[in-house]
Amino acid sequence: MLWSKQSILSAFGFLIAMLAMAGVFALLENSFLFLAQIMVSVGAVVVLSLMVIITVNMKDEDLPDEPKKLRWILFSAILVAPFSFLMYRALTHMHQSFGVSQEGYGTLKSMGGELFSHWVLPFEIASVLLLAAMVAAIVIARKEPN
Amino acid sequence: MISEVLTPEPFFMLATLLFSIGLIGLISRRNLFVVYMSIELMLSSVNLVLVVFSRLRGDMGGSVMVLLMIAVIAAEAALFLAMIIQLVRSRRSVDSDDFAQLRQTKEQL
Amino acid sequence: MNSLNAIVLIPFFSALLLGLIYLVNPSKDRFSLYAGVGVLAPLLSAILVLMVGWDMMHQPEETVFHSKLFEWINLGEMDISVAFMVDRLSVVMLSFITFVGTAIHVYAVGYMKGDPGFGKFMSFFNLFMGSMLLLILADNPIIMFIGWELVGLCSYLLIGFYYKDPANVKAANKAFILNRIGDFGFIMALALLFLALEGNGYTFAAIEANLSMVDLSLLSLIGILLFVGAMGKSAQLPLYVWLPDAMAGPTPVSALIHAATMVTAGVYMVARFAFLYNEIPQVGEFIAIIGVTTALFAAVIAIYQNDIKKILAYSTMSQLGYMFVAVGLGAYSSGIFHVFTHAFFKALLFMGAGAVILALHHEQNIFKMGGLRKHLKLVYITMFIATLAISGIPPFAGFFSKDAILASAFASEHYVIWGIGTLTALLTAFYMFRMLFIVFFGDEDNKSKLEPLSKTITYPLVVLAFGSATAGFLGVNEAYGGDNLFSSFLALPDKALHLSHSSEYMLGALNVLMGLIGMGLAYKLFALNPKEPTGDSLWQRLAINKFYVDEVYEALLVQPLLQMSLFFDKVIDQKLFDGVVNYSVYGYRHAGSLFAQLQNGKVRYYALYIMIGVSMISLFMLTVIGGL
Repeated sequence: MLWSKQSILSAFGFLIAMLAMAGVFALLENSFLFLAQIMVSVGAVVVLSLMVIITVNMKDEDLPDEPKKLRWILFSAILVAPFSFLMYRALTHMHQSFGVSQEGYGTLKSMGGELFSHWVLPFEIASVLLLAAMVAAIVIARKEPN
Repeated sequence: MISEVLTPEPFFMLATLLFSIGLIGLISRRNLFVVYMSIELMLSSVNLVLVVFSRLRGDMGGSVMVLLMIAVIAAEAALFLAMIIQLVRSRRSVDSDDFAQLRQTKEQL
Repeated sequence: MNSLNAIVLIPFFSALLLGLIYLVNPSKDRFSLYAGVGVLAPLLSAILVLMVGWDMMHQPEETVFHSKLFEWINLGEMDISVAFMVDRLSVVMLSFITFVGTAIHVYAVGYMKGDPGFGKFMSFFNLFMGSMLLLILADNPIIMFIGWELVGLCSYLLIGFYYKDPANVKAANKAFILNRIGDFGFIMALALLFLALEGNGYTFAAIEANLSMVDLSLLSLIGILLFVGAMGKSAQLPLYVWLPDAMAGPTPVSALIHAATMVTAGVYMVARFAFLYNEIPQVGEFIAIIGVTTALFAAVIAIYQNDIKKILAYSTMSQLGYMFVAVGLGAYSSGIFHVFTHAFFKALLFMGAGAVILALHHEQNIFKMGGLRKHLKLVYITMFIATLAISGIPPFAGFFSKDAILASAFASEHYVIWGIGTLTALLTAFYMFRMLFIVFFGDEDNKSKLEPLSKTITYPLVVLAFGSATAGFLGVNEAYGGDNLFSSFLALPDKALHLSHSSEYMLGALNVLMGLIGMGLAYKLFALNPKEPTGDSLWQRLAINKFYVDEVYEALLVQPLLQMSLFFDKVIDQKLFDGVVNYSVYGYRHAGSLFAQLQNGKVRYYALYIMIGVSMISLFMLTVIGGL
């Protein structure tokens, strides 16, 4: 994903990453999120990205020429390394082993109960946000009348 | 099953890796599509961490949060792509270095 | 005592009102409004002063009325209020200032009628009255200083009233700058005084009570510095040069500010600090010497002047010299008495001169006048009275006050000062009668079309002439059968002087003789056949050109200062300071453009910078806190 010059190749990489993420969710016994990830991230976001990339249809020569790409990537990798290390340490600090999953963990039913009992307000806000994003996206991407 | 086989560390490692790749992509690449996907990747890694913790604590709250995050990601994707289309239309370029309006030009000095 | 506040505030408010009305529409002619409000304010103050004076007279002599307007500064031990106090000294000053002031306001209405800036003039005039009253009534030296500065400002504004003539503006600036030099002394003295008292005295009463805290040498320095302030304000050597030039202002200004009131502020200040000067008699002697020198010096110059107002200006200086002789020698009552009588006759002389000038279409050279006796009869009579008064001919006012001063000089065994003072009395009579004779006697050749004088001009003359004739009777001392009402009313800490009646008669007679000799000489030389001083001999040239003091000042002080300023401007400022500043600007600019390259507008670079920071912090946390 980082490497390829063509956006479309990166997008395929991205698609694979998202699919893998869905797999990880499944591994974590979270069936609903597995579905949601497949449907939204893969089905909507990645496909939308692909569509845009294809629509824009940048020619090879129009794409940014990045001769020092490798050097940049190495440099930023060095920069990011301490941070990643710190993050990893912070995450694993609260080490806990996985217990046996509770009855109904990750199912649609438990998810729905949780969502509509404790998380109603964020859920509504998210819906408003989506609406706003939709409107904004249309406004931004629309061709100017003149 | 999972409780016997796996510890959380590989998942955290995966999340950290994904986040780092996203960061590296954000900094090092100029192609706006790649930048966009890097950001998505970082968001996903956060999702992963949330799910792992949700699973660790047996608390559905984390999962719900991830669900909402997915919604946000979708919104963000829509906006970002719309912006890219707009930029491509105006400059015929997806190079982030071409859009350097943040700089104070010599005339402004 | 709310009337105290009112006395000061009425003229200020009226000045503000007039100023605002004037500024709304400067070109509109609102003569009666300006005149009415402008005269009413000092009149009201005068009435209130009379009431306060009446109260005062029925109180024991050490009574002081206080009135606090508001608290101004209260910082730790420093507590300064805008407060007024009135004791007998202030009442005397107030009474003649408001009385003479009102008369001059009336006169000014007649004199300035038709001037386009009449409203402005009356506003400044009222402002001056308010400032002067503030100066007199101040309860602490700070407020006094504010009044002191404000009268200086009014003086500046009024000297430069006809600001379209550059000469007037120059004169105004000169007055202002020389006053600043004096004020510097004043404020230094106040600062030293307050420091030495360590916060134990900000009002006059408190300073007097705690004066023993200050050691004597410092006190002498304070006394001298205070007197430097007085020198500037009261036109004493060597800071006098502004006063003759100040005559560029309209004549009522000269009468009110540069003769009757403001210039006597120095004398008043010394008298107000009488308790201080009594501790340091040697400084008092210094003051007296300066005073008598000024008196003689100014009198000599006055003899050779042509300009009627300049003569009067030098005469004012000379009389101020007398006053300083008195206060310097500790005869504060006599000094204030002379201030009092002088206000009447000098204001009268100026107003008479103004009337003559006005009648002759702004002619100020006395040698172009002559024979006005018949045409300006009233002016002639009143000015004659005033001249008699200033020359010290009994029974007019000047005799008693001048005699008191010279007698105190004689009695305190300062014979040199007394001798010079007596000689100056002769010169005074001589130059005053010279002016009078040249203006009013002699042949008439250009009197065909005299401007008629309005009643508002002539009536104040009569009122003041009455004052000049009779004011002296207030201070008739024992030797002449009076009981010296004035000084017993004042109750100032005078030095006790003992002089037998016979020697007082002798001194008085000598003074009268001197006056008469001067008068006779003047009559002989100028009454019938006046000749302009030609400047043949060296002496005459020196005197005509005022001993070249202005030129000396110009050469010694102004030019070097100017050259130095130019040097600082062209070399030190432009080359050195600007150079340093410019080079540092250059440096910053380059450093800035270096750093500006970081800000190239490319978002990923910004992300990189953030990442560098995050990376550093992470490293820090891993190594120092987390332990790698």
